[in-house]
Amino acid sequence: QETIRAVVIDGYPARALWVKEFSEFFIPEVDKRLAETGNYKMDWQESYGGAIVKPKGVLEGIQLGLGDIGIVTTIFHSSKLPSQALAAVTPFVAPDARVVAKAVDEIAQEFPAMQNEFDKQNQVYLATGVVLDSYQVFSSQPIASPKDLDGTKVAGAGMNLRYLEGLNNAAGVRGGLTDFYNMVQTGLVGSAMLWPEAAATFKIAEVAPYMLKVDFGAVNSKTVTVNKDYWNKLPDEVKTVLREVAVEYRDHIAEISMDRAREALLKYMDAGGSIVEVDDLARAEWAEAMPDIAAEWAAGLDSKGQDGSGMLKAYLAKLEAGGYSGVRDWSAGLSN
Amino acid sequence: MTGVVSTALSSLSLAANRIATAANVIGTLVVLGLVAVVNFDVVARGAFNMPFRGAIEVVQFSMVLIVFFQLPDVVRSNRLTRSDGFLILLGLTRPRLAGVIRRLIDLLSCVIMVLITVALWPEFVEMWHTNDYFGIPGVFTAPWWPIKLTIVCSAALCAVLFAIKSLGIEPDASAISNKSAKGRQE
Amino acid sequence: MSPVEIGTVSVLAIVALIYLGVYIPIALTVVSFVSIWLMRDNFDLAMNLLKIAVGDSVMEYTFATVPLFTFMGLIVSKAGLGNDIYEVMSSGFRRVKGGIGMATVGANAVFAAVTGSSIASASVFAKVSVPQMLHYGYNPRFAVGVVAGSSVLGMIIPPSAMLIIYSFVAEQSVGEMFLAGVVPGLMLAVAYVASIWTMGKFWPSFVGGRPADGYEWLSWSEIASKTLPTLSLIFIVLGGIYTGWMTPVEAGAAGSLAGLLIAMLRGRMSLKGFWEALIETGHISAAILFLITAASIYSRMLGLAGLPNELSDMLVGNDYGFVTIMVVYILLMLVLGTLLDTASIILIVVPLFLPLIEPMGLSLVWFGIITVVGAEIGLLTPPLGISCFVIKATLNDSRISLKDVFMGALPFAAVMLIVLILLIRFPALSLAILN
Ligand code: NA
Ligand code: NA
Repeated sequence: QETIRAVVIDGYPARALWVKEFSEFFIPEVDKRLAETGNYKMDWQESYGGAIVKPKGVLEGIQLGLGDIGIVTTIFHSSKLPSQALAAVTPFVAPDARVVAKAVDEIAQEFPAMQNEFDKQNQVYLATGVVLDSYQVFSSQPIASPKDLDGTKVAGAGMNLRYLEGLNNAAGVRGGLTDFYNMVQTGLVGSAMLWPEAAATFKIAEVAPYMLKVDFGAVNSKTVTVNKDYWNKLPDEVKTVLREVAVEYRDHIAEISMDRAREALLKYMDAGGSIVEVDDLARAEWAEAMPDIAAEWAAGLDSKGQDGSGMLKAYLAKLEAGGYSGVRDWSAGLSN
Repeated sequence: MTGVVSTALSSLSLAANRIATAANVIGTLVVLGLVAVVNFDVVARGAFNMPFRGAIEVVQFSMVLIVFFQLPDVVRSNRLTRSDGFLILLGLTRPRLAGVIRRLIDLLSCVIMVLITVALWPEFVEMWHTNDYFGIPGVFTAPWWPIKLTIVCSAALCAVLFAIKSLGIEPDASAISNKSAKGRQE
Repeated sequence: MSPVEIGTVSVLAIVALIYLGVYIPIALTVVSFVSIWLMRDNFDLAMNLLKIAVGDSVMEYTFATVPLFTFMGLIVSKAGLGNDIYEVMSSGFRRVKGGIGMATVGANAVFAAVTGSSIASASVFAKVSVPQMLHYGYNPRFAVGVVAGSSVLGMIIPPSAMLIIYSFVAEQSVGEMFLAGVVPGLMLAVAYVASIWTMGKFWPSFVGGRPADGYEWLSWSEIASKTLPTLSLIFIVLGGIYTGWMTPVEAGAAGSLAGLLIAMLRGRMSLKGFWEALIETGHISAAILFLITAASIYSRMLGLAGLPNELSDMLVGNDYGFVTIMVVYILLMLVLGTLLDTASIILIVVPLFLPLIEPMGLSLVWFGIITVVGAEIGLLTPPLGISCFVIKATLNDSRISLKDVFMGALPFAAVMLIVLILLIRFPALSLAILN
């Protein structure tokens, strides 16, 4: 029996959902499968929460060999991993972590772009993780429709700030998850965009008891990768097990995220929050008023010789097959 | 040391000291810029509903400029954090030994700065070619290469300054001001 | 070598190098670099560690608090706000035994709320209150001891560079750390005043001094003009952070601008003074942030060695009690405090102890306050006590030796230790304000 050492890194703490499930699902599952033949045994060193890298440093940490296996938070790396923004540039389609995770992961297998981007960073792509069901809008004042957000300030982070460009004079204020409670409480912003589980964690109901259920949709943000030099030295049996378990891990955390989201919404209402449904007409209006961020994204990849347009169409088709068609056809604006 | 070499080294020393001082002035202006940018964002957001969307990237960027533009001058003026009680005590009884130790420490520091320069240089070259950026596309982005370039140049300049200290070369023109800086420190 | 052995040897090596006089960031980097190289027998990996740590550790948004609060502190020192507060305080305390000492503590506590470093406090009050105390016949040791002791308030009462450093190492919110520092800081100030009163009663020879006669009561308008600028700055900075209107970075920038306006309105800011404050800000920020960068190399090296994992296993295996860990922690800080500066102590011990503290379910905000107060005791203890050095250098008076400063500061270090034990015993003292 050969023992193989693996340093697992993430900059987020061990209590974060995807890190905890890596410890409690991924690792035991790999150990179990390897034990079936008994040829190999893993010696895991789990270094989370800034022990070796910060959240933004996982990509570089795996690239440079400071960790062997890592969970890269892809939204920090728009420049190095542009194709990972696929779900973020197609809002108002699928508020379901399971469907989005599977679709993005299949795109990664069918088109070379995602794997190539990681390959350039000296790492091997294993699987996509989706840890939230959908961004929603949480407001301090009663709101009945997206129109009520016109002319207000809305807190957000990353790509979702661009969604606000579909509203009249709404100003996006940047902030981190931990700042949103304060920002809403003081009136610095009227509302904030975050997902129900985070809203429950940070007790948003106390300051923003009106949730506008806009269903922007699930977004992929975590990718499990392995350092390429390390990967090339692994025996085939271990490689196979890692790949299989990564896919199960993908579905496992998506499933948990959906459960958490359901519980979080109940919690939100228990804490005095009310949920305002938004009809598809209003969602479509908002979506139509947005700049065509999907076409922008596809054109960016096309110009680099990656088939962005093809990825976009294939991705939307997969969501459709999964039961979700958007209020706006994000492939309509493609030039080819 | 022959006269020519010694003059050349002395001019190099003078040049390095002057560059460090100039970089210091730029870094100092960045501090002022930081105060201005953050206040601008606060007012624009609070009073005019128009937050400056690149505030975070600009602040991050200016932190790199402040630290790495100032670092060579910190080295030059002997203000890098150290605890030299032992060296001062030793200097009272064994001044030559204390002097040798000081030079060895500066040599060690020079080696570390060279290593940092060597480690970061390929990063700069890569960023220069790939045009990698940070921030959010469509919201605000800034290129990485100026950051890496700043760090590489700063570390290289620190390496030169430590080498100068280690060799004990006084820059001819600024020798006097340098001595007074040392005197104040000790 | 096991991770624990690597950890132990590296700490010893770092302390030895620092004691020898090696620049602290260089000592941290050298030892980390060599440790990785030897441990993994891989030079490239050691270079990669440098690359990732130097490349991204300064790029932290909250780090902007370091230059901003440093600048604000320097501007208000130059504008004489420290002197103003001191005058008001001493007019209040003038009749009491040890009154000028109490006034110094009070003025320091207020001034601490607008400056981020102890150095600024120590140099301002060494110039302002030591000559006063000597004039009224106070024991020189007591006079310098009071200034040294109360200067640490600058780093405990927010804003504080040390709380910022801790919040970076332990990944806590800077805003929460600042708020948690308010009560412990005020508590320490009250403890100092109480102990001065006690010393005046039972150990009058140590205090010395006679009631001040030359003072006149300040009129209300004088009091207002001397306190309102500082109070408005405190209102902007702490109020902004407490209500959530501003992030600590924004509060630092707003405070700097307001401090600058106040200084200009009062005609106390020359262009030269302004420029000096800017240069000084750059030097201090670069030195602190380079130190933080080096410390992040060191803590990542410990992470790569697997030390945090090993320590957690040891904790689970041996079931050390809370008291044991705290006693070891404080002793370690006191020992390191003899040689190292506060920032280095925080940066060295926190990564070692976080893996022990976090699984015990203890608040990391509370742990930060304990850490900063514990590490600050070192400012007052020989042979390396930065506050004492600053006071000695600022006074530049041959009648007062460095030994006098340290001896005078000792009772105040003891008071700090008692306060520290109370803070450990009653975490609510630090945490209540957060809820
Ligand atoms: Na302070
Ligand atoms: Na000390």
